Amino acid sequence: MEDKNEMMLKQLFEQAAQQQIDDNGFTERVMMNLPEVGESRVRRLSRLWTMFCVVTALLIFWLTSGWGVIEGMMAGGKVMLINTIEVFMLTAPTTEIQINPWMVVLLLGFVLVFLPYQTFRKLSATL
Amino acid sequence: MASISDIALVTQVAVFHNKRAFDQLVRKYQSPVRRFFLNQTLGDEQLSDDLAQETFIKAYVSISKFRGMSSFSTWLMRIAYNVFYDQVRSKHLTDDIEESPSVMRQTASTGDSNIKMDIHAAMALLKTDERTCITLQLIDGYPIDEISKITGIAENTVKSHLKRGKEKMANYLRENGYGG
Repeated sequence: MEDKNEMMLKQLFEQAAQQQIDDNGFTERVMMNLPEVGESRVRRLSRLWTMFCVVTALLIFWLTSGWGVIEGMMAGGKVMLINTIEVFMLTAPTTEIQINPWMVVLLLGFVLVFLPYQTFRKLSATL
Repeated sequence: MASISDIALVTQVAVFHNKRAFDQLVRKYQSPVRRFFLNQTLGDEQLSDDLAQETFIKAYVSISKFRGMSSFSTWLMRIAYNVFYDQVRSKHLTDDIEESPSVMRQTASTGDSNIKMDIHAAMALLKTDERTCITLQLIDGYPIDEISKITGIAENTVKSHLKRGKEKMANYLRENGYGG
C-alpha cells in the first residue's frame, strides 16, 4: 500500500518537480534591493591592527637575528626531548604505575567518542 | 560539497562584494527558491516572491558565513526555510494557512491545471513541517539527510513527517479519483 502511495505521489509530483519558474525581472528586483555591505569600522581597524602587529613582529625578528634564536631553541628542545625519552626508557620498566581501569575507559571514551562527536557537531553547524 | 563554480561566485561576492557574481547566483537559484515558497504558501505568488527576495538579501548579507561544507543550494534553502518560518511565526500562519479560503481562491485563480490545484489542496491538509519535508523530497529531490540539514529536524522525524504526509495526501487524492 505504501509503495502504491509512493508511486502515485511520485507520478503526480513529477510535473511539479520539472516546473521552472521564469525570472520575469525577479533578479533585477533583488539586485536593486540589495543593501550596501561595506566593511564595518571595527573590522577595518582590527585588520589594520593585525597588519601593524605582523609587520612589527617581522621587523623585530629581522633586527634581532630571529633565525639564530629559533635554531638555538630547536637544538635545546631536541636535546631535552632525547634526554626525557632516555630517562623514561630507563625508568619505566621498573616503575609501578597504578592504572585505574575506569580512568582508562573514561579517557578512551573522551578520545574516541566525545572528541569526534564534538568535531562533527561543529562542522555540521557551520554547514 | 559545494560546486566549484558556486564557490568561485561566492568568493567573488564575499571578498570583493562583486554584485555581478551575486546576480549570477540569483539567476541560477531563483527558480528552486521561488518554487519552494510557492509550494509552502500553497500558490501565493506575491508572498512567495517577497519571501524569495528576502531570502536572497539575507544570503547576500551573510554570504561570508558560507563555509562550503554543504552545497550552496542547501545553504540557501536553509535560509529560505528560516525566512518562511519567521514569516509563519510572525503572522501566526501555522494553522490558519491550511484552512484559509483566500489562499485556496488564490490557488484557483492563478490558472493552474486541475492536477496542480488538487496537489495544492492535498498539501493544504498537511502540517507545515510535513509539507516542507514532502516538497523538499518530491519536488526539489533532496535526500533525507539534506532535508534534515535544511530544516534542522532530526532524520527520523523527517522520515515520520514524510510517512504521515504521504499517507494524508494519498488518501485525499484517492478520494478525488487519482491512483485508479
